[in-house]
Amino acid sequence: MTQQPLGKSIVIWTMVALVLIVLSAPTIVVLGASFTSGNIIQFPPQGFSLQWYAKIALADDLRSAFVRSLAVALICTLISIPVGTLAGIALSKYAIKFERTLQIYLLLPFTIPLIGSGIGLMLLFGEMRILGQIWPVGLACCVINLPFMIWAVMASSASLDPDLELAAANCGAGPISTFFNVTIPGVMPGIISGSLLMFILALNEFLVSLLLTDARTVTLPVQIYNSIRSIITPDLAAISVVFIVCATLVIALLDRLVGLDIFLKSK
Amino acid sequence: MTIEAGIEGRAAQATRVAVSVRNVDMSFADFHAVKDASFDLEDGRFLTILGPSGSGKTTLLRMIAGFQKPSAGEIFINGKPVSATPPHKRSIGMVFQKLALFPHMTAAENVAFPLKMRRFDATTIPERVQRYLDLVHLGGYADRRIHQLSGGQQQRVAIARALVFEPDLLLLDEPLAALDRKLREEMQLEFRRIQRELGVTTINVTHDQREALVVSDEVIVMDKGVIQQKAPPSATYRTPANAFVAGFIGVTNFISGKVTATSGDAVSFDVGGSEVTGTWAAQGPAPSVGASVTGALRAEQVRLASSEAELSGCQTTSRGVVRDAIFEGERLVYEIDLAPGTLLRVFDHDPAAHKQFAIGDNVAMGWNARDVLTFPN
Repeated sequence: MTQQPLGKSIVIWTMVALVLIVLSAPTIVVLGASFTSGNIIQFPPQGFSLQWYAKIALADDLRSAFVRSLAVALICTLISIPVGTLAGIALSKYAIKFERTLQIYLLLPFTIPLIGSGIGLMLLFGEMRILGQIWPVGLACCVINLPFMIWAVMASSASLDPDLELAAANCGAGPISTFFNVTIPGVMPGIISGSLLMFILALNEFLVSLLLTDARTVTLPVQIYNSIRSIITPDLAAISVVFIVCATLVIALLDRLVGLDIFLKSK
Repeated sequence: MTIEAGIEGRAAQATRVAVSVRNVDMSFADFHAVKDASFDLEDGRFLTILGPSGSGKTTLLRMIAGFQKPSAGEIFINGKPVSATPPHKRSIGMVFQKLALFPHMTAAENVAFPLKMRRFDATTIPERVQRYLDLVHLGGYADRRIHQLSGGQQQRVAIARALVFEPDLLLLDEPLAALDRKLREEMQLEFRRIQRELGVTTINVTHDQREALVVSDEVIVMDKGVIQQKAPPSATYRTPANAFVAGFIGVTNFISGKVTATSGDAVSFDVGGSEVTGTWAAQGPAPSVGASVTGALRAEQVRLASSEAELSGCQTTSRGVVRDAIFEGERLVYEIDLAPGTLLRVFDHDPAAHKQFAIGDNVAMGWNARDVLTFPN
């Protein structure tokens, strides 16, 4: 291998450092601000204290909003696993009529501005008289983010050796046994990465939840937004850090279960 | 008793037809993959379907496995038509080209899978799995995951998985194609050993002519969707049915010309001014004078010497200039001008014992008329 010229490597590393700083700046600022001992949100923080974490731990409205967010994320994930898995396998494996059209149709939630789908869902759920409950919010998160799940499963499924299912048939497995014993385990990395992604996206979802929730069903991002409208205090930074920690935990879990390299390749 | 008589004598003991392919045709949208294929395979025999890629050999195998339905014709296994039987209801074990082992299972779980799917008595499964892992010399690797095994070990797991439920028929879809030469030759003998030990009727598909000759009781040569010949390996090599078979197996020189005279089976033809005499090897009557024919002459059937006098045992002699001499270890390969535009490849399997020629030498070549198998052009 040839040695890179020094000048070139300095340029590259400076670029990398800049990009890393820009990408992580919001996280670092929020993280720092959450540990302030002062009363206003600022960076660098004044002193160090955990008082704002103590405050949010005691704040009932934040705590229950967080629990509701977890519930929404869980409902969204539970719906998306069967739906996204079946759709992903079908789209990658079988010659379906109007496959292109179907793929574009499944991409629609991305092309419609979230505010648009949010209003649409609000009207629909309002007509159905199911607003004011948690599960429609989970369902809505599932609808708008489902393409992520489908893509993750499709990528896994497309990389599967098509002979595996023939081999299963040759071993005496009927179509249903083959599906559960060979196809599903084969696309499991896609299912795991897809569903963890769905979980994070639903946990963080703001705009659609804003339209679909009320005082009884408010989720954490909406709750934070409502608080900002009155006064920005460091407890919001603290709750944001809790959020970041949750997302980091999910990513760590993903790494343990399927390996981040596989996940990144499937995107 | 000669070796060939021994091989064919053993075959004569088996008589029951295990697989019968009758007038099978397979057309895809724009491609006629298999054309009117018919053959019978007797119980316990090892058949290899040999052909270049696109010859239809894999399509034929996949129809037997049940993955594809023939456009016309019928396949019988143990006397029963199977076209309406889905693959999972057929008693056929198969080793796939890319093996298709289940990556999320251990070696033992892979081998146990067909037993579970075919509802074998659960209490006997572990013992049977172990027995078949032992058969393929993988007794100590039962709990390894597939990716923890070497290429050769994965081959063995695939064989055990295909055989563990004692299928009526074993299909091999070029499973050795991806292996390096040494391992491939080792696995060829391993397939042969296991097949003999279990006596399972086997159909192997390959484009490797050496493999076909080494492992098989019988060889079918296919080209362009058509079965060209079905014969034991020695007969396929010695008496090819047509020029394609003669050229596909072994290193064969083709010399073409117009017929000058015929006498019984002997056909003389003119190759760029020199007369070559061959033996008519095709079906049907010998050609008339003036017809265009091709003679197939194996590289090992040509003898070389400095002068014609040393080739007294040969019926035909000719002279030519050595264009290339290639050392291949166990043999020397000469390329010699027979006539303008016709290079003859000649093997010398014992170069140390003979005079070696150099590029540019003018040498004498000799062969016998029976070794020039002559076909219509």
